[in-house]
Amino acid sequence: MTYPHTHATGRRTGTSSRHGGRSAAPVPPQVPARRGPGGRRLLGVLLLVGLLAAVLPWWLGTPAGSLRSTAATVTAAGRITGLVAGYLLLVQVLMMSRLPVLERWIGGEQTARWHRDIGATLLVTVLAHMSLILVGYADLRNQSVLAEVGTLLGDYEDMVSAFVATGVMMLVGFSSIRAIRRALPYELWHLLHLSSYLILLLGFGHQFTHGAQLYKPGPVRTGWIALYLLVVAALLWGRVIAPLAFNLRYRLRVADVVAESTDTISIYLTGERLGRLAMLGGQHFRWRFLTRGCWWQSHPFSVSAAANGRWLRVTVKVVGTHTADLRDLDPGTRVWAEGPSGTFTAAHRLRERALLIAGGSGITPIRAMLEELPPGAALIYRARTPADVLLSRELDWLAQERDTSVWYVIGSRDDPGPRQLMSPDGLRQLVPDVARRDVYLCGPPGLVEQSVRALRRAGVPRRQIHLATFEL
Amino acid sequence: MRRVFLAITGLAASTTALVVFKGSPAATQVAQNLPTAQPVNPTPQEVEPSADPNAPGTDPADGEPTPSKSADSPVSPKPGKTTARPSTTKTTKAPSAPRTTKAPQPTTRRVTGNGFDNEYGYVQVQIVVSGNRIVEAVALSLPSGGESDIHSGDVRDRYDGSGGEVVQKQNANLNTVSGATETSNSYKQSLRSAIEQAI
Repeated sequence: MTYPHTHATGRRTGTSSRHGGRSAAPVPPQVPARRGPGGRRLLGVLLLVGLLAAVLPWWLGTPAGSLRSTAATVTAAGRITGLVAGYLLLVQVLMMSRLPVLERWIGGEQTARWHRDIGATLLVTVLAHMSLILVGYADLRNQSVLAEVGTLLGDYEDMVSAFVATGVMMLVGFSSIRAIRRALPYELWHLLHLSSYLILLLGFGHQFTHGAQLYKPGPVRTGWIALYLLVVAALLWGRVIAPLAFNLRYRLRVADVVAESTDTISIYLTGERLGRLAMLGGQHFRWRFLTRGCWWQSHPFSVSAAANGRWLRVTVKVVGTHTADLRDLDPGTRVWAEGPSGTFTAAHRLRERALLIAGGSGITPIRAMLEELPPGAALIYRARTPADVLLSRELDWLAQERDTSVWYVIGSRDDPGPRQLMSPDGLRQLVPDVARRDVYLCGPPGLVEQSVRALRRAGVPRRQIHLATFEL
Repeated sequence: MRRVFLAITGLAASTTALVVFKGSPAATQVAQNLPTAQPVNPTPQEVEPSADPNAPGTDPADGEPTPSKSADSPVSPKPGKTTARPSTTKTTKAPSAPRTTKAPQPTTRRVTGNGFDNEYGYVQVQIVVSGNRIVEAVALSLPSGGESDIHSGDVRDRYDGSGGEVVQKQNANLNTVSGATETSNSYKQSLRSAIEQAI
C-alpha cells in the first residue's frame, strides 16, 4: 500500500513528514475554516419574507371590512392559500435545483429534509386552496360544489390543467409517503417524482387568468412571473450549467479500481486542475460512470479521501447490480460528477473536538474527514467481523498523524460488548467529554438511530449531532 | 413530521387571522354585518339604519367610506354562461321616509341596479348612497374569462370604489373605457337604473 507515501508528498500544508520523519510536536495541520449556520438562517429569513411578500398583494388589495359574507370570507381564505401554495411550489422546486449556493449554505441533506416538509405542507395548502375556492364560489352562485366543479372546468380557461396539476401533486405526495415509497421500485418512484415539473407547468396558467391578485398587469403580476423565471433559471443553473462547467473543467476519469475487501472496492479518479477543486472531506458527489450499462444511473457516493490536488477516491460497497458493474470499470472511463455537496464536513463543526461513529462502509466520508478535523478527535468504528473493517491501515496512520483515538468495535449489535459500549454510559466512559463534542454519524440506519438515542441521553445537544444521509 | 404539522397549523392559523382582520374593522361586528353582506340579496335596498356599525365612527370623518369597496371579493367568481344569475327583478324602490327622520347622520344605503347583458357577459352595479351622495360604486358582476378579465379589471379600476369616476361625477355620464366599450355602456346602464332607484 503506497497510499500514505503519496499522500504525504502531495500534502498541501507543512507537516514535518516532508522533511523526513515525524517531529515530536507535530505542526498543527490545516483545518478548514468553520462555516456557521449563518447561510442557513439567512435563507430561512429570506424564504419567510418571501412568504409574507406573496400574501401582501392580497392584504393591500382587500379593503378592511369587505369580507362580510361567508362566501366572501371563504373565497378570501382560498385566495390566501392559493398565493401561499404558489409560493411554496416555487420554494419546493428551488430546494431541488441543486444550486451550488444552496448546497453550500444548507447542504444536500438539509435541503432534502426541507423539501420533504415543504412538500407535505404544499400538498395540504393546495387542497385547502381548491376546497375553499370551490365552496366559496359555489356559495356565491348558489349551486352545489359539484356543479361548481363543472362550471370551473367548463367555462374557465386553464382550469382543466390546474385540476390535472392537483391530481399529479396528490399522486407524487402519496407515492412519497415513506411506507408506500419503500414498496415502489425506485425507478417508478423517480419517474413519478420527475412528473412534478408538470405541476409547475400546468399550474402556471390559472394563476394568471383567474388569480384575483395576478390577472391584472401590474407590479404584482410582473413580480410573480419574475419569481417563476428566477426559479427556472436556478433549476437550469444547478442542474445543467453548473455540472457542465464542473465536468468540462475537471474532466474526471477512472484511474484504477482496487479491492479493499471481499465486497468493497475503491475507485481512484484523476482529472485536470484538481488542485483547484474546492471539496471538503465528508462531502459527496453524484456519480455517473459513462460506460455501457452504467451511464444512465447516477448515484451519490462520498469521497473517501480529502482533496489532495491529484486524485479523488470513492469507496463503494458492492450491494446491487450497479455497484457490481463498477468492479469492471476500465481505467480511462469518463466520469460525470455533480457536486460536491453536503454539510457532513469538518467545516460545519460547532466544537473544537469531534467524536466520529462509523458503521461498516459508513467509514468512507469519515475517513476523508479525519484528515481535516482538528487533532484530538475520537473514532468509534463498528463492524460485524474483522473482515468488514475497511481502510484500517489508513485509519491507523491517520490516528498517529492526527492524534486521533480509534476504537474498533467488532461484533453483532446484540453482542454484550457492542451493546454496552453503544449505551449512554458506555459512550461517556469511552469519551468523557462527549457532550462537548460534535458527533458525526454514518452507517446503517439501525446503528444511526440507536446511536442518536444513546447520544441524546448522554447529553449531546441535537445540533451537535451530524448525520450523513442521502435518502429522505 | 412534527415540522410539517407545525407549518400546516401555522398556515391555517395565520390565514384565519388574516381573514378575520380583514373581515371587519372590528372582529366582533362580523356577525352583525353578515345579513347585509350578500351582494345579490334584494334587501340591500332597504334603508340601513345608521346603527350600521361602520357608519358612526369611520364614515365621513376619516374619509374612509363605510361599506368599503368590496368589489374584489364577492364579484370575481365570475358567473359563466351556465351560471344562475343574480336576479334583480325583485328590487323595489327604497322607502324614502327614514332619510328625513334620521337627522344628524346621513343614512347610508346600498342600491343595486338592474343587470344588463352584452355580448361579453353580464354587468350589474351596486352603489352606496349616503344622504344624496354616491359614496361608492361596486360592480357586482362584469364579463370574465380570457381578455375580458383584463377589460373588466380596467373598468373596475376606473369606475369602482370610493374614489372612482362614479363618485367623482355623481352621475352616469362616465367616460367610456377604451377597449371595453360594451362593458362600459352596460355599466352605465346599470348605474343609471341604480341611481333612479335611489332618488
